[in-house]
Amino acid sequence: MKSYLQYLVILLDDTSVAYCHADNPLKERNLIPIDTLRKAILFGMKENLMIQYVYPDYELPAEYEEVIESIDNVKIGREVQVLTEVPKFIDKDNVVLRLTISDFISKSFDIAALLPQVKRMNICIRDVENFKDEMQEDYKRALNTLCSVLANLYKSGKQPQVNILTDRLSLTEMHNCEAGIGNITIAPNGKFYLCPAFYYDEKMGLSNRMNHKTKDSSRSVGDLNNGLNIPNKQLLQLDHAPLCHICDAYHCNRCIWLNQKLTWDNNTPSHQQCVMAHLERNACRSLQLDLIKVGNLSVEPIKEINYLDPFDVKEDF
Amino acid sequence: MKDLIQPWKEGSAKNITFIVTKDCQLACKYCYLVGKNEKERMPWSVAKAAIDYVLDREKDPNFAYESVIWDFIGGEPFLEIDLIDKICDYIKTELFRRNHHWFSSFRFSFSTNGINYHSEKVQKFIEKNHSHLSVGITIDGTRRKHDLNRVYKNSEKGSYDDVVKNIPLWQSQFPSDGTKVTISSADIPYICESVLHLYDLGIHQVNINCVFEDVWKEGDDKLFDEQLMTLADKIIDGGKYVDNACSFFSENLGKPMDCKLQNGNWCGSGKMLSIDAAGNFYPCTRFAQYSLRDKEAWIIGNIHDGIDNNKLRPFLTLDRCTQSTPECIDCEVAEGCAWCQGENYDAAKTHTVFQRATAICKMHKARVRANNYYWNKLYRKLELEGKREEFEKNHPNVKPDIC
Repeated sequence: MKSYLQYLVILLDDTSVAYCHADNPLKERNLIPIDTLRKAILFGMKENLMIQYVYPDYELPAEYEEVIESIDNVKIGREVQVLTEVPKFIDKDNVVLRLTISDFISKSFDIAALLPQVKRMNICIRDVENFKDEMQEDYKRALNTLCSVLANLYKSGKQPQVNILTDRLSLTEMHNCEAGIGNITIAPNGKFYLCPAFYYDEKMGLSNRMNHKTKDSSRSVGDLNNGLNIPNKQLLQLDHAPLCHICDAYHCNRCIWLNQKLTWDNNTPSHQQCVMAHLERNACRSLQLDLIKVGNLSVEPIKEINYLDPFDVKEDF
Repeated sequence: MKDLIQPWKEGSAKNITFIVTKDCQLACKYCYLVGKNEKERMPWSVAKAAIDYVLDREKDPNFAYESVIWDFIGGEPFLEIDLIDKICDYIKTELFRRNHHWFSSFRFSFSTNGINYHSEKVQKFIEKNHSHLSVGITIDGTRRKHDLNRVYKNSEKGSYDDVVKNIPLWQSQFPSDGTKVTISSADIPYICESVLHLYDLGIHQVNINCVFEDVWKEGDDKLFDEQLMTLADKIIDGGKYVDNACSFFSENLGKPMDCKLQNGNWCGSGKMLSIDAAGNFYPCTRFAQYSLRDKEAWIIGNIHDGIDNNKLRPFLTLDRCTQSTPECIDCEVAEGCAWCQGENYDAAKTHTVFQRATAICKMHKARVRANNYYWNKLYRKLELEGKREEFEKNHPNVKPDIC
């Protein structure tokens, strides 16, 4: 099924908090002009989009808060806490942990200890490109550590969500990031981007290939005056991703920014993204079996598979 | 019509291309190589490192092919005949020394402009390696057609006379190898005379293609249709279909295609490996910078760091329908409509190999019309002569030329 635009992400400042795979390398404050903010909200209202504000780490002027509250919204960096270190305690229901792969592996017990404190935890690996095949066992072990705690919590009646482990429990079709098709980002310059990472790249002068500086680093896909203009938009859809549409790691972010960074094509995931998503899928399967056994879950069982990268079995589909 | 000779070990051979030089004596007007130069000549150290890299990986899935074609390209490859000779000697020695399975199944392949084909060094090389060689000389047809595009650099002088004199020698050495003819807008009026001229020169296999770039003018398709109809009449009425083949006419052409059963990619980009003078690897030569107008080179690795398999994944997952427009998918004459993955990338609106360039659409449709005419006329003639059954028995389907 094709995806349609549902969310508008508004970066309130160049230094707005990074909440996904890409770090925000921008250090200088550049608050979105209030007129641009108003226009962005108006765009969201007219397109019937849910607004997600992404906050910087400083207080905004009072007049901004008034405009911000003129529409129903979610505040990333405020009510959704974003952390790059594993804390001892969490005082929010909803948290994003942005960790390096090595931190996730080495601190899995500390992360597991936080699970009773949250309703939802999104774990986002900041350096997917550094995942090596030799890390598979370590990653699996770290995921299983979290699964053990989750299983006990579920059995005791608590049901915290962890994006990489519980989302897949009940999914029967792809539910990915959908940048550019399910959501779109507006930056302080009034231009649209597929997601915040593409704005960061443009500001840093990075090309489409992302490892080269180039004079043509424009990554925007329209602006508030002229509307959205996404070239090759069809390539963002699942049915135009040959590997993803045969895959059942339904919770995978299918991050198109990572795709472009690592494989140079929007619709092709890297080996790393596929393997990590499948290790998560398999850990979720174990959790699912455990929960089904004790009667805590009634969902479609996740099948056992013998591969971690659909690329290796693409001829079989 | 005689069947086109199939490429050696098609599908089971790894194609490894050395871009030995980016220099050429010619400056052909339709050449897609926009960055030719005299500076980028492959050093021996790079060639040797590339060979070692490949041969060290006999079991690697990227190289797990039954056979290998070592391809040499330029510019004009024979400008670097000394280097080529050294490379081929080294490959043979190493295949033997390593007891590599390719030792019993390798080929050296060349596509040359033919200008220095007769030179002593080239001839000595051919003599030494003849049983493992395939050589194609590019001659575009009649003098006026050839010289329209294939001119010397820094002058407008055509190269026809310097090439045609080498054709008999080449034909005597490689009688089954064909020529590749390229058609651009200005060439259309000379298609018929050129194909017939090549037959007269003794070249029985003419691989002829329209350029994939967006060069076509209003009315070109009609002219093209007329030229091919005339050519069809001349071939059939003159009985030239018995001994000759022209890739414009193929029975596997112009039918609708199924997205499940006929969803393969057209070319082998990604399954090939190209190496340039700097030791960079490419999924095909068309992705090297000197081949690209508007995009950055698609480098998939180098002789020092090896292949980054992530950069190959888009190529190895490419299929026909994902990269095609809805119009192409629903096209009633889709079969045989070709594309070049490099041109697709270069012409795409974004950084992708999944956007099919469609500049040749109207030319393909014209070709299909003429092709239908050709087969209808030929088969009727054969039926009236009582030779159709015999023809069909001895004449397997002609496969379109795929790079």
